[in-house]
Amino acid sequence: MKLPTVRGLPASLVPCRIIPVRWSRYNPSYLEPEVKKELYQKPSEELTEEEREQMELKVVRPIKAAPPALSSSVFSDPMISKFTNMMMKSGNKVLARSLMSQTLETIKRKQLEKYHKAPENEKETIECNPYVIFHQALKNCQPIIGLSNITKGGKTYQVPVPLTDNRKRFLAMKWLITECRENKHRRTMMPEKLSQELLLAFNNEGPVIKKKHVLHKMAEANRAYAHFRWW
Amino acid sequence: MLRSLKGLVCRSLRLDRGCALHTAARDGLSSVSSQDVPAERPRAVFHTSESDPAKHTEQHEARLYNIPLEEVKAVFPHGLPHRFQQQIQTFNEARVMVRKPALELLAYLRGSNFAHPAVRYVIYGERGTGKTMTLCHVLHYCSRQGWLVLHIPDAHLWVKNCKELLQSSYKKDRLDQPLQASAWLKNFKTSNERFLQEIKTQKKYMWGKQESTEEGRPLGEVVEQGLARVRSATDAVGVVLREIKQQSHRGSFRLLVAVDGVNALWGRTTLRKEDKSPVSPEELTLVHNLRKMLRNDWSGGAIVTTLSQTGSLFKPSSAYTPQELLGKEGFDALDPFVPISVPNYSPREFESCYGYYLERKWLQHEKAHTEDGKAELRFLSGSNPRQLDRLAGPL
Repeated sequence: MKLPTVRGLPASLVPCRIIPVRWSRYNPSYLEPEVKKELYQKPSEELTEEEREQMELKVVRPIKAAPPALSSSVFSDPMISKFTNMMMKSGNKVLARSLMSQTLETIKRKQLEKYHKAPENEKETIECNPYVIFHQALKNCQPIIGLSNITKGGKTYQVPVPLTDNRKRFLAMKWLITECRENKHRRTMMPEKLSQELLLAFNNEGPVIKKKHVLHKMAEANRAYAHFRWW
Repeated sequence: MLRSLKGLVCRSLRLDRGCALHTAARDGLSSVSSQDVPAERPRAVFHTSESDPAKHTEQHEARLYNIPLEEVKAVFPHGLPHRFQQQIQTFNEARVMVRKPALELLAYLRGSNFAHPAVRYVIYGERGTGKTMTLCHVLHYCSRQGWLVLHIPDAHLWVKNCKELLQSSYKKDRLDQPLQASAWLKNFKTSNERFLQEIKTQKKYMWGKQESTEEGRPLGEVVEQGLARVRSATDAVGVVLREIKQQSHRGSFRLLVAVDGVNALWGRTTLRKEDKSPVSPEELTLVHNLRKMLRNDWSGGAIVTTLSQTGSLFKPSSAYTPQELLGKEGFDALDPFVPISVPNYSPREFESCYGYYLERKWLQHEKAHTEDGKAELRFLSGSNPRQLDRLAGPL
């Protein structure tokens, strides 16, 4: 790192190095680690141009350390990991992950019991895969439009605003977790509460879906202020 | 080959109907068309239609057999592991895998001479390898054969978390546990109804100042007394154990003493007396009487026990051998015994378990059906039955 020259200051007061404090501290030449097994098992003829270039770069460039949450398991799901992280309190990932697996198991048990008791013609309609239920429930809970506070002329208005995909996903997960934490009986366990909420959201019922509808109605009601948005 | 075809065909009969039916060996082979059999073959290999443990041989190894649900309620009012009970609830059937240690034990029981003193068997193994399930398999066999089964589901429950400790009225320095004793008596009554009418008491027993049970009354009355008067439940348990032990050599019934977590009887307890001094296991009446049952000074039956680190007190989690878990006192008390080791799943047993989960739709994740998913499950669980069950839960 070259020492920056600052005119007018004595040498003792010039900072020694400018070290990045926020965001990534890696040198830009570092590459991301590749976890997918299929890429390494492909013979070199099947690789596309970009993949071939990537493999060649890997020989010369250094690689970043893999974060602990990155998994090469075939069962890993980024959405589930995100949800687990949001459920985590004070860094207790072990507890959060066990709660998540208990939730998925509870959903599966409830649905399987329903499946085995249902008559033949209704069996196809019952979804037993907890991952499908989880993803569909989250999709059903995502709002389409959000509200943002914009201050104009001393007054704050709730202005309808489009949401990015990340923000939608975040809001859906946040609402689910807050609903389970706050509005349920004190003695029920989290897996039970969460599985109940996810099943309701999968069927487009329940308090979280209601909250989404309330938000949509508010956005519709405040349509007049939409032009306050400048982005 | 023919026997496995029979098993397949019986399975395919079952699979033809949508919901699960609980049946023993079927004879209606002729009604099944032969083109069903090759299609069902990869799925049905790990099941067997032989639901009588007496007929299980090496051929049935690594296969799952069905216990009808009514029998489960009658034979196992207590004693099945919690996760297995949940599995019975979810799948609507009780399927137990036939494994080598259980077959070994059954062979010993079949060949044992009941005129000799009772042989003690100790089932040991690492955590989660299937010791309790082996015990349950043997229990099912013995109850099908008409033995009197004395099953203590978990001896650790008697030495910890006891809310009420009463001073025994029979012996001054012993302590009674009314809640645990009455719970056990209730389950004992469910599983051994007919013996309670047949066995008669041989001595008069006084319960307190007014109540007594005369000589020659059926044992059921002692059990009723224990359930009605909870204070004397522990003494009722002691009387039941004593009577059964004294009458077993006559040969009118065979006795099986099945204790899960036998290392609790010779360890330490977490209970304290009113003056905060620790209670040692000998001071508990239930433990004292059970220890007397486990001595090999009676004949006409067998004693099958399991070691368990999971509920044990003050034992490191890596301990699994009889020497480590029983300690010197326990080992000397149980010596000589026949040790039966229960290992993790063999490759065939793993395939069988994996196939069963797939068939019952327990493994729902799309990747779990692939070879990669199977290899990952095998690696992560290390072929340990409990780990496989825990891993397959959320998938």
